Amino acid sequence: MDAVERANLERQRRWTKDQKIGEGTYAVVYRGRELATGRKVAIKKIKVGQFKDGLDMSAIREVKFLRELKHQNVIELLDVFSSKKNLNLVLEFLDTDLELVIKDRSLVFLPADIKSWMAMTFRGLEFCHRNFILHRDLKPNNLLIASDGQLKIADFGLARDFADPGYKMTCQVITRWYRPAELLWGCRYYSTAVDIWSVGCIFAELMLRTPYLPGETDMDQLKTIFRALGTPTEEDWPGHTKLPDYVPVGQFPKTPLRDLFTAASADCLNLLSKCLIYDPKRRISAKDALNHPYFFALPYPSHPSKLPKPAKKESGIPLEEVDGNTDMSGPGPGVKANPPNKLKRKNSDDLGGRPVARRLDFTK
Amino acid sequence: MAQRNSWLRGTTIRKSGPSTSASTRTSTPQLPSTSMSIFAGGVKDPSGRTVEYIDMNEKCPVCDSDAYLKPGLRLLVSSCYHKLCNGCVEVLYATGSEVCPTKGCNVINRRLSYTPQTFEDLTVEKEVAIRRRLAKEFNKRREDFPDLRSYNDYLEEVEEIAFNLINDIDVAETEARIARYHQENAELIELNKKREQEYQRYLQEQEEMERQERELRAQELRRIETEEREEREKGRQAIIDKLETSDKDAARLVAKSRMETQRRASARAASSSSASFNQSNARLLRTRATQSAVVPDVPHVPLQDNYYAYDDMFQMRETYHDPVSEAVRRDREGIMRAGGYRVDQAWERALRFAVAGLDTAPLSGMPAPPPEPMAVDSEGPADAVMVSA
Amino acid sequence: MTAALTPDTQPVASSSTQRQPLYEASTQYRHWRFSPEQLVHMRSTLNVDAVSAIRDAFEADSLGSSSSVSFLSAEEEHLLVKLYVGKIAQLCGHFRFPEEVEATAATYMKRFYLKNTVMDWHPKNVMLTALFLATKTTNHPIALESYASHIPKTSPSDVLDLEFLVAQSLGFDFAVWHPHKALWGIWLDVQTLPDVSIEELSKAYETAHGHVRAARLTDAEFIYTPSQIALACFSLASPTLATAWARAKFPSSPHPPALEFLEPIKEIILRDGSPPDVEAVREVDRRLRLCKNPEKIPGTNAYIKKQQEKDRQAEEKRLRKAEAARIAMEEGDPFGSELAKKAAEDLDDDDDDD
Repeated sequence: MDAVERANLERQRRWTKDQKIGEGTYAVVYRGRELATGRKVAIKKIKVGQFKDGLDMSAIREVKFLRELKHQNVIELLDVFSSKKNLNLVLEFLDTDLELVIKDRSLVFLPADIKSWMAMTFRGLEFCHRNFILHRDLKPNNLLIASDGQLKIADFGLARDFADPGYKMTCQVITRWYRPAELLWGCRYYSTAVDIWSVGCIFAELMLRTPYLPGETDMDQLKTIFRALGTPTEEDWPGHTKLPDYVPVGQFPKTPLRDLFTAASADCLNLLSKCLIYDPKRRISAKDALNHPYFFALPYPSHPSKLPKPAKKESGIPLEEVDGNTDMSGPGPGVKANPPNKLKRKNSDDLGGRPVARRLDFTK
Repeated sequence: MAQRNSWLRGTTIRKSGPSTSASTRTSTPQLPSTSMSIFAGGVKDPSGRTVEYIDMNEKCPVCDSDAYLKPGLRLLVSSCYHKLCNGCVEVLYATGSEVCPTKGCNVINRRLSYTPQTFEDLTVEKEVAIRRRLAKEFNKRREDFPDLRSYNDYLEEVEEIAFNLINDIDVAETEARIARYHQENAELIELNKKREQEYQRYLQEQEEMERQERELRAQELRRIETEEREEREKGRQAIIDKLETSDKDAARLVAKSRMETQRRASARAASSSSASFNQSNARLLRTRATQSAVVPDVPHVPLQDNYYAYDDMFQMRETYHDPVSEAVRRDREGIMRAGGYRVDQAWERALRFAVAGLDTAPLSGMPAPPPEPMAVDSEGPADAVMVSA
Repeated sequence: MTAALTPDTQPVASSSTQRQPLYEASTQYRHWRFSPEQLVHMRSTLNVDAVSAIRDAFEADSLGSSSSVSFLSAEEEHLLVKLYVGKIAQLCGHFRFPEEVEATAATYMKRFYLKNTVMDWHPKNVMLTALFLATKTTNHPIALESYASHIPKTSPSDVLDLEFLVAQSLGFDFAVWHPHKALWGIWLDVQTLPDVSIEELSKAYETAHGHVRAARLTDAEFIYTPSQIALACFSLASPTLATAWARAKFPSSPHPPALEFLEPIKEIILRDGSPPDVEAVREVDRRLRLCKNPEKIPGTNAYIKKQQEKDRQAEEKRLRKAEAARIAMEEGDPFGSELAKKAAEDLDDDDDDD
C-alpha cells in the first residue's frame, strides 16, 4: 500500500460512525465519535466521482477554508480522511441551529439573548473577513449552536477568497431572502458587505421571529426590500443605476424601522439600520459592528450557556422516580411529568435514560 | 434492590385525620410530629404530611402495656433501635444514662436518645437515618464526574457504605472510610451544599411565582367572566330598549349589537394575551436573574481571539501607484462603484502577505520526524488561543 | 542558529509571544515547512522505499525481471519533476490562466512528489491533474471537457483519474500563500519610503517578478516564507531598495533577521531557478519508461494480481455485511445480541459504496 494510503487509513481509524442523521444531494452526514476520547463528531461523507467535472466545488471550498480557519465562532474541521470513493470531513458535532431556535415558539428571547447571538455571529464573520474570505451563504440555517451555547458559522460551500482587482465574481450567491440589492441587480464586483447585509436580515429575524424580507422571486425580493426600507436614491447609493441588471422596481417611501421593531432599543435599531444601508461602501463592517454602542450598553449579552435552545427531539425522559416532588395538587400517583427544566438534576444521560440509583432527599 | 427502591420513593404515608376504618379504637390517634412535642426527633417534615407511626396493639417490652390499655402511651425508639414506652423511658433514665434494657444490647442511652417512630419497620427507620446522614456527606452530582461510569462507581461505593452501616458490618472500618472521604472532598462537599441551598431557594421561588401566577390568572378569568356577564345583560337590555324605541329594522339592530360584542371580545382577548406575554417575559427574566447568580453575564468584548494580523507592520495609504488595480479604480463605466468592491481590501491583503512571516527563521537540521500532512489540528502549536473576556 | 528547531519551539515573530500570527495558523506553515536536510532525507527515503516496492512488483509480474531494471535515483526524479513544473507556465499561458493558478499548480505538483514517486505516477499526468485541480481551488474553474480538448492526446478521464489521489497526497491542504502576492505588497509598501522613484521601483519590480517565477522551480517555498522569498527576489533586483524597506519594517532592530535569510534564498534561486538541461531530462524520461511500476500499468500480471486482491477484499466485505444482516434478522432478540446489531450497523464498512 502506498504511504499516502497508509497514512490515510490511520487517520480513518481514529473516528467511527454511529448513526446516519441526514442525507443531501452530494453528501451523507453521520453522527460519530472519536474513538480515543468518545467526543461526539459529525462525519460528512462526500461521494467523489459523481460529477463530470470531478471533485465537487462546494466540497473543495469547504475543505479549503475550514482547514485554514480556526475560531471559536467558526465550525471546526477536525480531520479529513478519504477512502477510495469518498471524502470524509470530520466536523465538530453541533446539535441545533439558529433557524430551529427561531422557529421554536415555546422559546422566549430576551434582548440580551439576541445581543449575544449577534455578537457571536459578528465575531465569527469578522474572523472570516480578516482572512479575506467571503462566506456568501449566511442564514439562520447555517449558524449552528453548540451544546455550550456557542454559535458557529458553518457551511462554507459558497465561500471564496476576496478577488484580485478586476476579476469577476458570480452574483448568484446567498439565499434569496438574505441577498443584498447589489447582487440582485447583477453586480460582479462586490465586497465583504454582502455578508453584512445577510447578518442584518438575521438580526431582524431574531427580533421578529419570522424572516424579515421573504421574496418569492429575485424581482419580488427587490420589491420586498424596497417596500420595507424604501427605494434607494442616487444620493443614497451613487451609481446603482449602472449595475448590470438594473431595473427600476417601484417607488416606495422610507418607513422608520421603529414602526416595525417596536420593542427594540435605539442602539439596536441604529446597528440594524447600519447593516442594511444600500451603498455597500457605507455599510458597516463586522469589526465596527462589534464596537457599536449596542453591544456595550446594558443589558450585557447573555452568557452563551444560558441562551434558549429548542427541546431535543429524542427526549427519552421516562417516568422516573422523582425525589419528594410529589405534585401537591395533581391527581393520582405522585409523579411529576413536567418538561425537563434545565436546572433540575435529571440524571437521564444519553444511555437511554436508565434510572440510576437515587439519593434520598430527606435533608429538608 | 427493586423493592428497596420502590420503598425509597418517598411516597407519603397518608394516615390523615378522620379515620377511614370502621372502629376508631383500632385506628390510631394521630400525633403529627411537630417540634412542640418533647421527643421531637424522628423525621422532620415541614409539610406535616409524614406523621408518626403508632400501633395500638404494640406492647412495651418492659412494662408490657400498650396504647389500648394506656391511652397516651407512645413507643419510642432508641439510638440502638430498640423500643421503649415513654413511661418506662422516664423511669429508667431518670438518673441520666443507662444501658439499654433490651437483652444483649449494651449500648448506653439517655432520655434524649429516644425518638418517636416514623416507620412501621424499625429497620427502615434505621436505614433512613443512616442514609440521611450519608446524604449530607456524599453529595456529589453527575456533573462532578467525567463520565457516567465513574459516577455510577461512586454511587455504588455509597451504597456499599450504607449497606455496611445498616447491617453492622465492619462498622469501624466503614466509619473510617467516611472520615477519609470527608477529608479528601471537603471542598467539593461544601460547594455542593451551597449549590443545594441555592437550588432549594430557586425551587421555592419558582413555586411562589407559579402560585402567584395561577392566582392572577384565576382572578383574571373571574373578572372576565363577570365582565362578560354584565355586558351580555347590558346588551340584552339595550336591544330590548332599542327595539322599543327605534323604528329601524329589527334584524339589523340585532346584527349590529352582535358585531359589537364580537369586537369587544376580540379586544379583550388581545389585551389578555399581551398581558400573559408580559407575564411569561417577566417570569423568564426572573428565571434568568437566578441563573445569573450562578453564571453571570459579562460585559461585551469586541474580539475574543488571539490572532495577530501584522497590522502594526504597515501603514496603508489612501492610494498607490498600482497598474494592477488602475482600471478598477478609474472605473470609466462606473459599474464597479455601486457594487462595493474595495480595492483597499485587496491592497491590505497584499501588504499582509508582504510582511507575514518575514522574520520567521527557517527550520534546520533533522528535528522530530516530519509532521504528517493531515495531523489533527487540535494538538500542536498552531492552536488558536481563545482569550476569554 | 544551530539548535534543531521544531515547529513547537519556533520563536514567534515580532510582537507579543502570546498572540498567534495568522500565517502560523495556516496549513502551509504547519504541514509544508521543512529544513533542507529534511527535504533530502524525505526524497531519498521515498525513493528507496519505492524502488524496493517496485522491485517486488516486477518480481510478481515475472520472476527475475527486476535485475535488469535500472531504477531512478532521487536526484533524477527531482529533475524530471522540475521539467514538468516548468511546463505548467506554458500551459497557463496557453489557457490564459491567472498567475495564481499557475503558482498554485506548481506548488501542488511539488508537494505531490514529496509524497509519491515518479515511478508510480508520471509527472505529465500529474501536471495536468494538478493544474485542473488548481483552477478549481483558486476559483477559476474550467469545464473538464473544455480543458481536455485543448490538450493534445488527453481524455477527460486521464485528468480525473488522478484528481483524488493528488488531493489526498496534498492532505487536502488547498490554500497556498504565494510569493508573487507578497511581491505586490512590497511594491505598494515601498512607495511609503521617502524618495522613491516610481521608474526605479517599476524596473526593480519587473526583474524581481522574473526571479519569483524562477523560484517556482526551486524548493524555496518549503524552507522559507513567501514574504522572505519575495524580499529576496526584490533584493536581487535592487539591493538598496530591499534593504531600505526591510529596515523600515523592523525599525527597532539594527540587524533585522529578515535580511539574514536573504543570502541563502538568493543562492537557491540563482542555482536552482533555471529549467533543467533538456538532454539530461530526456535520458531520465527514457529510463522511466522501463522502470515504471507494473502494478499501475493496466494489463500487466502485477496489475491484474493487484486488482484480484482488491476484488477479494471487496467480496469479503460484502459477505461480512450479508452475514451481519442475516444475524440481525434471525436473532430478532429485542434484548440482546448487541454484537449482531453492531455488526449490521458497522457504518465504516459503508465507505466503498457504489
